[in-house]
Amino acid sequence: MKTFEEKWTAWLDGQLSGKELAEFEASLPDKAAAEAEKRDVKKLGVLLKRELGAGVLCNEDFFSHQLRERVARESIEPPRKQATEVSTWWTIRRLFLTGTVSLAFFLVFAVFVMREKNPAEQSQYLTQILNARVDPAISPNATISMFEAKEDRVTVLWTEGLQSLPADYAAK
Amino acid sequence: MCRLLLAFTTFFALVMSAAIPARADETVWSGLVIAQNVQQPEPIPVELTRIERPLKELFGYNQFQVIGQSHKTLKTGQEDWLATSKFFGLHVDARGESEAGYILNLKLYKEKELLLETDAKLSKRSPLIIKGPQVGGGQLLLVLIVR
Repeated sequence: MKTFEEKWTAWLDGQLSGKELAEFEASLPDKAAAEAEKRDVKKLGVLLKRELGAGVLCNEDFFSHQLRERVARESIEPPRKQATEVSTWWTIRRLFLTGTVSLAFFLVFAVFVMREKNPAEQSQYLTQILNARVDPAISPNATISMFEAKEDRVTVLWTEGLQSLPADYAAK
Repeated sequence: MCRLLLAFTTFFALVMSAAIPARADETVWSGLVIAQNVQQPEPIPVELTRIERPLKELFGYNQFQVIGQSHKTLKTGQEDWLATSKFFGLHVDARGESEAGYILNLKLYKEKELLLETDAKLSKRSPLIIKGPQVGGGQLLLVLIVR
């Protein structure tokens, strides 16, 4: 069941016919006013078609317009890309390469520094005598001293007064 | 990119292996040495060439003869060993290792008689010389060197 508004729109567009048209026109309170309105609507339609219809692109025009825009855009982009390539020398690959080479240099130098440093560090250590004792019953007059000959890197435990022994004791 | 990464990894491994020297077992040479002054001195034993100058300057002898010795390779730093001659014995008891060297307990015996005992921290780069008893016209010396 169509509403009045639907029937009104259809009547304006001339889409009602037969019994439906007769019933609708009979239901109009002022048929003359309605006819006048129908004419005005038609005039407005013609006017709109004439004024706005020229600006609307059909499908072919719209497609070709899009193509032209795209071609124009692409014809501008290559120089921009080229400019980008020239200006950005530090690509990811080159950054990685540079980082790797730098790290390699650092490691090589670190190794050399460490190798040269280690002997110096170790050289600080001289042999230390922590304690020394002799049997007082065997060598009652023995004395003990200790010193380091730093120039030769030698530590000496020096005893005096140990029991003297005959030359036979030098045997192998 | 993968090849580059592989090359870098190999290089890194090589550098690090060069940087961290493998810990080699060290040998302690222990010697009983008789120092004497003689008319025609014999050449100094190979083991003592490293300390020839201090030996001659400090003790004033011109000949040094090894009468007993021991080469001991230390693996744990807890080993003990003996260097002996006919009448003397040097017992060395290693009691641990530190960055500075090995901690050693040394005992010098004349036959079964303990003449001298000492504890020392033997540096890997610094020999230890102990002046022992007078033997005839010479001197008994005990020498320990880490090689």
